[in-house]
Amino acid sequence: MSILANRNTRVVIQGITGRQASFHLRHILSTPTNVVAGVTKNATESSHLGVALYESVKAAVEATGANASLLFVPAPNVKEAVFEAIDAGIKLIVSIAYGVPILDVMEIQQKVKAAGAVFLGPNTPGIASCDEAYLGIFDQNILKKGRVGIVSRSSTLTYEAILETNQAGLGQSTVVGLGDDMIAGASFEKMLALFEKDEDTDIVVLIGALGGTYEEEAALCYQNLKIKKPLIVYITGLENLEDDIGYASDILTHGKVTVEDKKQAFRQAGAIVLDNITDLHTALLRFKK
Amino acid sequence: MNIHEYQAKKLLKKFKISVPQGRIAYTKNEARKAATAVSEKGPWVLKAQIQAGARAKGHFAEQKAKKVSGIEVVSSLEAVGQTADKMIGSTLITPQTDKKGKLVSKIYVEEHIKTKKTFYLSLIVNRIGSCITLLVANATDNIVELAQKKSHLILRVNLNLHQRIKKQDILNVLKFLRLDAFYFQALKNFIQNLYKAFVDLDATMLEINPVGIDENDCLKALDAKISFDDNALYRHKDILNLMDDYETPETTLKAAQYGFKYKNFKDGNIGLIVNGEGLALCLYDYLTHLGCAPACYLNIRGGTDEDKIAQSIKLMMTNPKIEGILIDILGGFVRCDLVADGIVSAISEIGLNIPVAVRFEGTNKQAAIKIIEQSGLGLLVADLLSEAVEKLLNKMKEDA
Repeated sequence: MSILANRNTRVVIQGITGRQASFHLRHILSTPTNVVAGVTKNATESSHLGVALYESVKAAVEATGANASLLFVPAPNVKEAVFEAIDAGIKLIVSIAYGVPILDVMEIQQKVKAAGAVFLGPNTPGIASCDEAYLGIFDQNILKKGRVGIVSRSSTLTYEAILETNQAGLGQSTVVGLGDDMIAGASFEKMLALFEKDEDTDIVVLIGALGGTYEEEAALCYQNLKIKKPLIVYITGLENLEDDIGYASDILTHGKVTVEDKKQAFRQAGAIVLDNITDLHTALLRFKK
Repeated sequence: MNIHEYQAKKLLKKFKISVPQGRIAYTKNEARKAATAVSEKGPWVLKAQIQAGARAKGHFAEQKAKKVSGIEVVSSLEAVGQTADKMIGSTLITPQTDKKGKLVSKIYVEEHIKTKKTFYLSLIVNRIGSCITLLVANATDNIVELAQKKSHLILRVNLNLHQRIKKQDILNVLKFLRLDAFYFQALKNFIQNLYKAFVDLDATMLEINPVGIDENDCLKALDAKISFDDNALYRHKDILNLMDDYETPETTLKAAQYGFKYKNFKDGNIGLIVNGEGLALCLYDYLTHLGCAPACYLNIRGGTDEDKIAQSIKLMMTNPKIEGILIDILGGFVRCDLVADGIVSAISEIGLNIPVAVRFEGTNKQAAIKIIEQSGLGLLVADLLSEAVEKLLNKMKEDA
């Protein structure tokens, strides 16, 4: 079945007529993804690339039963667009935009939580369930249907993990980008729990990063799972390279959080922890049936 | 983005936060004039305006300024002039600058405030709690170290966006600071105003270290440091104007012009051009693991403009330490073929004298490889990251 998005997911695309949106939409439309509607303000046409256009998410939901939204709106408009999607009852929201203000993300988080929705992003490649639904900017040529679930906090390393999976002769069930920014939209924990239940996923690959305690929480969650699927972890980031405000704020709010702490937490929880991403395919081979 | 103390204080005044009287000065004569304007008979505080902390613990590189630090209290107008003369135009080295230090081109002249008590107070984006956190400490020295080693000496209060700060939270702060209930209202106003400034200005950090309680029981921001969310600067054009270009390395500034991020590492001889922070760090891990080191990285992010990419590559090639370049592009939003065009046009223009390995994956990969191969520039092309690194290192060895 894959997680979060599948063949039955009815996708509305917000900001569908933009240049980037159109480019990626062409790719998405060449897959089985069920794109049911597009939203654009001041629409002059009734459809774009064959997708029916609506003036609001609400109108799109009413007319098409859309239940997931992919946002191609620019960073300054993301907050408003996410709010609109939530108010229209959408439960899975993916925002690709890079550069959304942090305070906007905090407000989005509050609203998403209250609505019980899942928010991926901002600054994510999105989510792809192979041969089923592609909500994002993945190049579907590199995705291969298989039984490895990937969840990541780094867009580019998500691609790297996909390629390593392919190199091992395996493929992906669902690939999820949580969002690369200082505050990630969704948590690893939630995805681990979903992958654990997913009949189409045998192994999970988790790509973490320095900053925050998302990885520590995920490790704890993995430790407590009843049925453990193999979990392979890679965490990027060296403390001495991190001079951004995000890391300083971690120290002030939570004391020092290091890559080694994160790795150790996963080792204790029983996960396989890699030192280099290039080791991923060999680690995966162990589980090849 | 960061700004200077004097700019931060000016901003905070607009939010009804009390700050000492102060003026900026670029020469010793200006310093003397500033001094008489802010206080009739002193004493005064002279503060070097550089964007780095621990100025009071700093020292100047120049002989003439050997005996002064980045913050000096002086009690005569004559001393104002003398000290200003030493500071201005000299290079201040503090525990938070690099070894070379920073040039002081201006100083802030303030009235000296006698205090009954000082303490640390800041607001910060807490990504773990996805909220804004208020940090309070009785100590005002080495807060980062305190946070790591004696974490319990810092009071942390998570604040809810759009909600008034709770009375109980203020009471907790009072108690933590061992302050009399008399200060409740003043403290409440101070924190609330600071919070409003934080949200209105899209700050990521707003630090007052120290807050001083003066002889009239008024709370004053004796120092101020604000970091802004770069992603929100589009709604604060006025703040953008406060940016001091001298505070940022030239390469970083130039890269920023093109919307890219450039960062130098301490050692190393390999330049990395990537399209994501994670990718840069993972390559750093991998190269270090192999016993070699990157010199710098350029993150072209989602950039797709051929000219911009060409400009950025040229920028990287000005780094004299670089003996080889690794270009690793995983295209999603970024289209590999456009990056390839940029690479080819940059390298053809400046001529190629060091090995360059290129690896593309994702959107328009085949078209990109074709562009590179047809260019005849002799670039090394690889399918896998490990292969790209191997090819580059081998070529670098051959050339050496």
